[in-house]
Amino acid sequence: MRCKLWFLQLVLVSGLPLCAVAQQMCPPRPTDGAAIANPLDLYSQNGVLTLNLALLSQIGPTGFTHYCYVYVNNGNPVEAPTLRVNPGDRLVLNFTNNITVTGRPPKSRHAPMQPMAMGDMDAAAAQNNPCLGGMVTATTTNIHFHGLNVAPICHQDEVVKTIIPNNGQPFQYSIPIPANDPPGLYWYHPHPHGFSAPQVLGGASGALIIGGTNSLTQGLTERILIFRRNVDAVTDDDGQFTVNFETANYPRHPLPVINMTAGQQEFWRVLNASTNGFLALQLLAPAAQQLLVISVDGIPLTTPTNMTTIYLPPAGRAEFIVPALAVGTPSHLFTEGFDTGPIGDPMPATSLANIVVGPGKYDEVHTARAVPPPTEAPRFSGLASVTPNTTRALYFSELNVGTNGPGQFFITVPGQKQKLFDPKNGPAITTKVGSVEDWTISNQTGEPHAFHIHQVHFLVTAINGVSVTNPYMADTITVPYWIGTGPYPNVTVRMDFRDPNIAGSFVYHCHILDHEDGGMMATIVVQP
Amino acid sequence: MPLALAAMCSAAGPAAQGDKAQTPSSISVVVNEDTGFPTPNALSFYQAAGTQITYQSSVYTGGFGIQGGFFGTSRLNSVPSLSAPCLYVSDAGSNDIASISLSTQQAVGTFTGSQTDDGSSNGISLAVNTSYLYASFTASNTIGTFAVQSGCGLSFLGDVSAIGLQGGSVSGMAVNGKMLVVAYGDGSIQSFSVTGGMPVSNNDLQNSTGYTAPNQNWFAGPSMPSGVDITQDGRFAIFGDISATSTVEVSSLTTGKLATTLAYSLTSVEGTGVDAGAVRLSPDESLLYIANSESGTVTAAFFNATTGKIMRGCMSKTLQGFNFRPWLGSVVTRDTTGTGSVLYVAEFGRDYLEINHGPATAIGILTVTSNGKTCTLTEASTSPVQLFYPGALSIGVYPPRPF
Repeated sequence: MRCKLWFLQLVLVSGLPLCAVAQQMCPPRPTDGAAIANPLDLYSQNGVLTLNLALLSQIGPTGFTHYCYVYVNNGNPVEAPTLRVNPGDRLVLNFTNNITVTGRPPKSRHAPMQPMAMGDMDAAAAQNNPCLGGMVTATTTNIHFHGLNVAPICHQDEVVKTIIPNNGQPFQYSIPIPANDPPGLYWYHPHPHGFSAPQVLGGASGALIIGGTNSLTQGLTERILIFRRNVDAVTDDDGQFTVNFETANYPRHPLPVINMTAGQQEFWRVLNASTNGFLALQLLAPAAQQLLVISVDGIPLTTPTNMTTIYLPPAGRAEFIVPALAVGTPSHLFTEGFDTGPIGDPMPATSLANIVVGPGKYDEVHTARAVPPPTEAPRFSGLASVTPNTTRALYFSELNVGTNGPGQFFITVPGQKQKLFDPKNGPAITTKVGSVEDWTISNQTGEPHAFHIHQVHFLVTAINGVSVTNPYMADTITVPYWIGTGPYPNVTVRMDFRDPNIAGSFVYHCHILDHEDGGMMATIVVQP
Repeated sequence: MPLALAAMCSAAGPAAQGDKAQTPSSISVVVNEDTGFPTPNALSFYQAAGTQITYQSSVYTGGFGIQGGFFGTSRLNSVPSLSAPCLYVSDAGSNDIASISLSTQQAVGTFTGSQTDDGSSNGISLAVNTSYLYASFTASNTIGTFAVQSGCGLSFLGDVSAIGLQGGSVSGMAVNGKMLVVAYGDGSIQSFSVTGGMPVSNNDLQNSTGYTAPNQNWFAGPSMPSGVDITQDGRFAIFGDISATSTVEVSSLTTGKLATTLAYSLTSVEGTGVDAGAVRLSPDESLLYIANSESGTVTAAFFNATTGKIMRGCMSKTLQGFNFRPWLGSVVTRDTTGTGSVLYVAEFGRDYLEINHGPATAIGILTVTSNGKTCTLTEASTSPVQLFYPGALSIGVYPPRPF
């Protein structure tokens, strides 16, 4: 009977019947050692992509919680589809929070997560309006459309006051994709402060691609690779990478398999959706191959660049062309390991996937559809030549009660008091639409941090005071760790607040999500 | 077994040791290794002379550690009396308390609390008076009480619940004959009466001033008491704070409860430390030593045992090699009189299998000078002394400070 009631509700909400969702089950994830397939693609039609998506949770076999974004495709639940839109389209996402269980959280160095009030509690309760805030708890959620340069308002990309309860009520996101948004790889994930890490660690994330035309990639097989981390039952450690939900933990698990057709280049779009993992990607065949990087964090490089190692912080993306390989070439997708400093989570070198190069064609990937050329010049154009009107500094710092936590994590403007994130703190930075600013973000801790700001990308101009030879756009960047003596490592970026569409209040934070949940986030207000 | 022979026998690693006479002139420095499963937990003995310490022996505790946890937690402690040469070490990975005879340097046995006692998240802190041992279990938020028995045995009496105002677990605690004082590591503190053995709350659970008063002009951010010490006369409890500055707080106990704390930021001419995790009064109570766990420095502050007031003193330079040994644990004095003359501080290490993470755990050694108005803390040329295994956060000296 319960299934029938849910059936009716789902029909009304999604137009599609599905008892599997009604039973609150995440779809099964791929078995270890299987060939890696692209996530299901959902394309916009006539300028609109409309879909129904639910966030479910269930306790996995290790006692930790799986969180899954579920889309119903022809009656079958599918996890974390790729959302494909074009510049100028509208994304309409009818979202339902169906979190029902929250199991044992993974170890974390920040204090036990406590519910936090966001926005106007009384108004939110009285009006039953998720846009007005409420108490953020383990069963509330929202969605951040990471990298999209859209408005920081409810129903678009706002994460502080938008608190969606698990009451079964659909909540609609309706996002106009700017006609000048650069074509590339973006992503979506939960962002309820204090509970982002467990939900993302549980698997709640997916790719969002803004289509575009690039002669370098036209006709190439396109592969979407999403790296996440999951919790290992034996070590109680969230240090196991997964690739499209397949565990990459050799030799305890068979490696995932990437089937490549011999003699053909491929176009790989890679997302590091892990909560804390730093990747140093290499393609070993058997030596490290040259990978032609064409885009970082969704924005095309001015000049495509060959690299043998691609560094991706948590939330980082890279799109690159993989060279053609000969049949039988022993090949691996590999992370070289990343030095996370004296107190960071270790990131040792490890193989992530076994690449099998054969003569055949494989149906788990395909060529992306062609899209019409953009109608406007990409935004951020010419930013490098703009004279900034303001310079600012920020710094990351931490306080640790012990080696295993709880800890306190801060991002602070010098001269201001260190404060754990709280919406009641007010903005740490206030600026105006039209402002172009150079920010230098330093790191006073013994581990790297991943600086991220919502709503805009920034131009990376200098690292440790040394100008970057080829400045590039990004929305997340690693700030190296401090060794305990000498100057604090830092990066300098150029912020572009010229677009009036992004006026409002939004946040910047470390994208190591334990740190963000632990307080390493602050608010900026861009006045109209 | 003579110490020298013990050292030869144990060259290949921890091993149970034979008989050893403890002479009054002999000073043993003991450090926990807190090694986790499958490596047995162990502690190591060093013989102190001047500013040198010489490895003597190691002994398995009989349980497992967790290789980390709270900075303010005392993972090893001894009865504050020469008549009971017993050392107690917590095994947070196996949830037991190991007893070691100092006279024989042999493990006596392991003792467990209730079935629900669990210290696996951030360790088990130990506080001992002449009659009882108190063990705080960080994962179960309980404090177990054990009666100290002859022959270094323990007898479990029962548990009480211990949870901070913000849900934190005990990060540090200290006891005298009447009162057990705890810091929860979430900004709150509490005391218990222990006159009857089992702790009874004094109903004074409260947030510390450092945690609740962010508007003081010296204050850089929230502050959370971590380590605890109590004066010999039991009139003051002193807390070392996790804070962006080297911050300590003092609470009067004269009413039988914790009074509102006074917070002190100890920026000195040498600068400030970060995260004053562990605190330790000098034997004469003229100085308060603070291990700044995250900046790798040690601070000495002048303490007035009559008024409870603290004055700025001095701070060491960053200990040698600290950037490869993140975090300091506890600090103790070599001597049982005066300022203590020499300090030993546990330097936590990292697993050397991790990439680019250099030497493992160590003991830092510093000398103290003080004329009552100014002081110096200077790292000895013999420092640091590298240990065999990572995980040292607690260090002790025998004979112990007499309170």
